[in-house]
Amino acid sequence: MGFFLRRLSFYFIALLFAATLNFIIPRAMPGDPVTMMFANATTQVTPERIAAMKELLGFVDGPLYEQFFIYIKSVLSWELGTSVQFYPLSVNSVLGNAFGWSLFLAGSAVLLSFTLGSVLGIFAAWRRGSKFDTIFSPGMLAVQSVPQVVIAMILMFTFAIGLGWFPTGNAYTPGLTPDWTSWTFLKDVAYHAVLPLIAASIVQVGGFLINMRNNMINLLAEDYITMAKGKGLSENRVVFNYAARNAMLPSVTALSMALGMAIGGQMIVEIIFNYPGLGTVLLNAINARDYQVLQGQLLVMTLFMLFFNLLADMLYVVLDPRLRKGA
Amino acid sequence: MKGLIKLLSNNPKALFGCSILFIFIFMAVFAPLITGHVPDKRTGKPHEYPGAIVKMAQASPDGWVAQNLADDKRKMLMSKKADHVLGTTRMGRDVWAQVAYGARVSLAVGFGAGIVVCFLATVVGISAGYFGGRVDDILSAAMNIMLVIPQYPLLFVLAAFIGEAGPLTIALIIGMTSWAWGARVIRAQTMSLREKEFVKAAEVLGESRIRIIFIEILPNLISIVGASFIGSVSYAIVTEATISFLGLGDPGTISWGIMLYNVQTSSAILIGAWWELLAPCLALSTLAIGLSMLNFAVDEIANPQLRSNKGMKRWEKMAKKDKESRTPHTAVPSFAGVKDLAGGEK
Repeated sequence: MGFFLRRLSFYFIALLFAATLNFIIPRAMPGDPVTMMFANATTQVTPERIAAMKELLGFVDGPLYEQFFIYIKSVLSWELGTSVQFYPLSVNSVLGNAFGWSLFLAGSAVLLSFTLGSVLGIFAAWRRGSKFDTIFSPGMLAVQSVPQVVIAMILMFTFAIGLGWFPTGNAYTPGLTPDWTSWTFLKDVAYHAVLPLIAASIVQVGGFLINMRNNMINLLAEDYITMAKGKGLSENRVVFNYAARNAMLPSVTALSMALGMAIGGQMIVEIIFNYPGLGTVLLNAINARDYQVLQGQLLVMTLFMLFFNLLADMLYVVLDPRLRKGA
Repeated sequence: MKGLIKLLSNNPKALFGCSILFIFIFMAVFAPLITGHVPDKRTGKPHEYPGAIVKMAQASPDGWVAQNLADDKRKMLMSKKADHVLGTTRMGRDVWAQVAYGARVSLAVGFGAGIVVCFLATVVGISAGYFGGRVDDILSAAMNIMLVIPQYPLLFVLAAFIGEAGPLTIALIIGMTSWAWGARVIRAQTMSLREKEFVKAAEVLGESRIRIIFIEILPNLISIVGASFIGSVSYAIVTEATISFLGLGDPGTISWGIMLYNVQTSSAILIGAWWELLAPCLALSTLAIGLSMLNFAVDEIANPQLRSNKGMKRWEKMAKKDKESRTPHTAVPSFAGVKDLAGGEK
């Protein structure tokens, strides 16, 4: 239990640090955010308006430490302010909406690449040195190093614009009312998610593949595998029930870390495919100088990372009894 | 030099990676010599076809190329001189010149950020690993916090607040935000080196700490620092392109990211100007793949003695591979890397 308390306190400190960073960045840059926000406004800006805006956005006047305490307080009570861009909406609802889509995309991308990578890794390990292994394993690693911008742009150009097989943006056809129980809506969502999903998952397959392959190769040399083969068990049974099951373990924990990373990593994919996730919200917020949303965004993403790190920590302990004593 | 050549010829990955890197360095240095056009001025008509495509289409007007790749009669007419190797952009600028000059920015940002990352990672990692105690506690906490703060959003927000960040600024912010992983690996390695006899001997002899760090420890870390350098260079190149692509960079510079940004904003892909998209994409991917091959090669070449140390998944993977090829029966699953990931603190 001490282990978890220590981890939790570390995560809390990390969160405070991220909040501090959030606090510092806008204040360290030249000009104050509210004035900058009005810099390219066409309407006349009176000092009263600026003051009103400041109050609305939570930029209190006063010494820095006072501002900081008020800010931390609002973060801890999860009052992230109001969005400038979508004026009456609160930051919470803007981010909440986008977060769902991001989570959906990241979750399915990670699951897809995990499944694909693990299965390919199992085969690569079982038939190591074969043509499949020598071409596929380094091949997928090479694919992994291709920038996501490039993959997304090329997919977009070829399949969405060139061939017109898939839509060029949005999570569902605009005008459709979201109804998660109707089959047509679900199909529409799936149809819109195909390209972003491919772009987000293709770069992750290589990592899972190599992970799985190396774990498998390690395990295949174990005595119990030789024993299982000696008993005359079928190849499938040895590979999947005996070797793959144990080789999975490090991969499962890697899975949870990958989920935490994915939501930040896939931002560029969301932006290119104009998918209404956190990435798109971030870019729009940047362009509209919507500082409240920006701050909230960074915080939400950090929280998400922390959550999945914690989950990974727990999974290690739950899945591997050997770690329980050590921790 | 002889050793290097032998090393390269023995390792196809290293050879491949090095050749790609050298081609791009050559391209960046001799950009004015390999292209007759300037990258940032109008030197042709808007959206001219690449030279070779024009020649092929002219040679056989009914061939596949003319039917599929160069199917716009008006554009064909405009680009009949075929003097732009990779065609032109919507602004009539030469794409090949932009790729060549863009290599300068990409490599400069890559190496610049790589140097910053390596410097910070080495300083923090060695200090934490060698001095231990309170120093280690503070530095490790800093590393772990940097590791859980999502990189891309932080970078985007930083770049946005700075506004039209130039290549130098981008290199700096990438460098300042991505040293944590390298530092962690270097710390782990330093900790195990600190316990080695030769370091103990130096301590007993009364050598100064500075000397021990620079003469005894640092040379043994070169391979890890090298791998982390290559990794950072590749990460920085891709990240710079991403930041510029989002329009957060300085639109006045010529870089691959800005080329992609222009493709997006001038809706070149809607018009079907595939060469304008393909050129920076190919340049980016080739360089990134080359660098990652080089990284694998460095892993394979580096000191085999370091392989069984904790906290270095890379080394472990390598060790596993080697173990498997040499003595297939003694492989024991090791969870050192996993434990380190889970534990974080010692």
